[in-house]
Amino acid sequence: MSRVAIAVLIALVLLGSTGHPTAAQTAKPVNEDLVHDIAAQLRCVVCQNLSVADSPSEMASQMRAIIRERLAAGESPADVQRYFVDRYGEWILLSPPRRGFNLLVWLLPLAAVVVGLAAAAALVWRWTHGHRGIRPPPVAVDAAMSERIRRELEGRS
Amino acid sequence: MTADLGYGMTLIALGLAVYGGVAAGIGARTGRLAVIESAQHAALGVFVLVTSCFALLTYAFLTFDFSVRYVATNTNLGTPFYYRITGVWGALEGSIILWSWMLALYTIILIVRHRVGARELYPWALATMLGILAFFLLVMTVAAPPFQRQVPVPADGRGLNPLLEDTGMITHPVALYLGFTGFTVPFAFAMAALITGRIGDTWLVLTRRWTIVAWYFLSLGLLIGGWWSYHVLGWGGYWAWDPVENAAFMPWLTGTAFLHSVMIQERRRMLRLWNISLVILTFGLTLFGTFLTRSGIIASVHSFTQGSIGILFLGFLALVLLTALGLVAWRWEAFRSEGELDSVVSRESAFLLNNVLLVAAAFTVFFGTVFPLLSEAVRGVKVSVGAPFFNQINVPLFLSLVFLMGVGPLIAWRRASLENLKRNFFWPVALGIVAAAAAFALGVRSLLAVLTFATTAFVAVTIAVDFTRATRARLRVGESLLPAMGGLLLRHHRRYGGFVVHLGILIIALGVMGSHAWSVQTETTLRRGETAELAGYRFRFDGLTAVEESNHFKVVGAFTVSNGRVLGVLRPAKKFYPQEQAPIAYVDYRLGLREDLYLVLGDFARDGSQATVKVQVNRLVSWIWIGGVVLTLGALLAILPERHKSA
Repeated sequence: MSRVAIAVLIALVLLGSTGHPTAAQTAKPVNEDLVHDIAAQLRCVVCQNLSVADSPSEMASQMRAIIRERLAAGESPADVQRYFVDRYGEWILLSPPRRGFNLLVWLLPLAAVVVGLAAAAALVWRWTHGHRGIRPPPVAVDAAMSERIRRELEGRS
Repeated sequence: MTADLGYGMTLIALGLAVYGGVAAGIGARTGRLAVIESAQHAALGVFVLVTSCFALLTYAFLTFDFSVRYVATNTNLGTPFYYRITGVWGALEGSIILWSWMLALYTIILIVRHRVGARELYPWALATMLGILAFFLLVMTVAAPPFQRQVPVPADGRGLNPLLEDTGMITHPVALYLGFTGFTVPFAFAMAALITGRIGDTWLVLTRRWTIVAWYFLSLGLLIGGWWSYHVLGWGGYWAWDPVENAAFMPWLTGTAFLHSVMIQERRRMLRLWNISLVILTFGLTLFGTFLTRSGIIASVHSFTQGSIGILFLGFLALVLLTALGLVAWRWEAFRSEGELDSVVSRESAFLLNNVLLVAAAFTVFFGTVFPLLSEAVRGVKVSVGAPFFNQINVPLFLSLVFLMGVGPLIAWRRASLENLKRNFFWPVALGIVAAAAAFALGVRSLLAVLTFATTAFVAVTIAVDFTRATRARLRVGESLLPAMGGLLLRHHRRYGGFVVHLGILIIALGVMGSHAWSVQTETTLRRGETAELAGYRFRFDGLTAVEESNHFKVVGAFTVSNGRVLGVLRPAKKFYPQEQAPIAYVDYRLGLREDLYLVLGDFARDGSQATVKVQVNRLVSWIWIGGVVLTLGALLAILPERHKSA
């Protein structure tokens, strides 16, 4: 159960990461969605915690214009991003690139989930197997049991 | 004069709080009622004094008493009446008064409610409350005194932060602080339980409603904060994963975990240690949140940036955590409780999983928020951890939690039989699959969106199945439909209150998903009379007007919006405050169930001949507010007083 859950979680995280803009080479009329996707990954340098895509500030508007220009000039989204990183440093990226020390911020939450699930699994295992002696094998559900379940469901939580 | 009076009252209140805390502790140890009563009187005195401080400061705001520095920096002669009242807690010092006042208020309610019923735990809980109150009063006297003289007295003040000039200013901080401070009471009782060694279920039962009340206010505060952000800050969103939003969100997550794990202890006497740890963690996170906001250590829209106060809060946080952990270690033996369970597939497991995911989400938020500090300390490199990061990690966690919301309440305790699973989950699973297929057939291609539809449908059907089944059972014993449903809600108000909260979350989840997946925006510069188009809307720029308000100057754009027929004129504006360098955007919008049209005015030519406008069509955002209302109604249902249960 928990292993499946982990697998699903990891899959979801990986799937989530495909949201990055992919190179659209047809640069002539700039795709506004692409501008938005790139801008959403960049930090507005004069704001606090708003992306260039969201910020209503003038600075952000200028940065969006730069993105538009560079795309129009045929640069790939990766090039545009590199341009901003070269100018402002890694700080400009709203999600830290997944390498080196930054891996920590990506992996530790996943590790927390895994450790948490393992701990919960261990606890449940102890609860189910920790009894002294051997318990009788679970009996098939009889009418009384169904009745109890029904009462529980309809009764208090 | 005003400043000295206020400062004097703060000092006396501090003295009384310290005395009361010590007296309550002595009374608890010796069992002498007179001493405990004396502590109660001290608490009452503190409440009266803090209330007076609060009233005095409000009076100073209303009368433009610029001899008080805090008044001079946070208001000016142009500040309207209404914002002179909310301005009282518009900055650091005043917010600490509000905080202390609520803490004092909760202390009084605690005395009134628990003085008689909880002989052993009550005095220690009172001592803890007063101790925490003393800390906040200390902050009010040493680190962030609201009552300081301003010499010479200026003719006019500086003025309130313009972003705070909004009706949200009265509800958002008040609700949020009521939530934050509300978690102090469960914490106080947890401490009392640890000190007395009565770590059984008494403290849980005593604080059950307190926790829901705190949770209710915290949720309300977060939701109003989202609405405020959406309609004031002008960036078209409701949640920015700003460090201070995160600071309020973390205790919400752990508090939510606690509300669920409590049920396992109530029902099965298991997880005692875990529950006490969650309460300590939640309270610690409220302090940590205050530390983040007040220390200015992390730049954020909310930060009050102030020096020495950070150290004070960090020290207090450390003291609280060390004391609490020390007590837990001291009582370690008492926590040994053997749980037992017949099958891995049971409600206990579902709740454990829920707790793991909630705490993991809280950890993610915590680590992401402090990671920039860590990176700078270790590598000397500044990094940002923002929305893209938090969304990527947390969305899968939240979606799993929503799924569990469907499983948890219907799966049997101890052991779920195949019969039980089939009986409860056949229709939900079937309709969840149908919802996914329907979404796909309607052209939804985002995997996340399809999953969200499937999960929300699944959970909604589990709730419907449970409710109709319980109603039918009542109909069978001869009740008629409406009384049967109403009776169910009232009699099992905690269970169904929880279900209504879950429904609210489902609606919010749809809104969040919709706004992320389907919102569109554009930015364009228009000459007067020119028209642009987005998502079926045409908007025409009709010109600019300038308006002078009591404390600022406003440039208003007019845009006629139509989609085939004319829908109206939207007037986004820019506000120029003399005390602010950059203008403040004032957005205009048309809200709808399907989508909101949202306009932000950008640059403009001074002669009004052209203007840049950012137009957003935000999809399903209204569902977030609707879900919020449903959620708070559910929480209210759960808070209802326990009725006498027969049968």
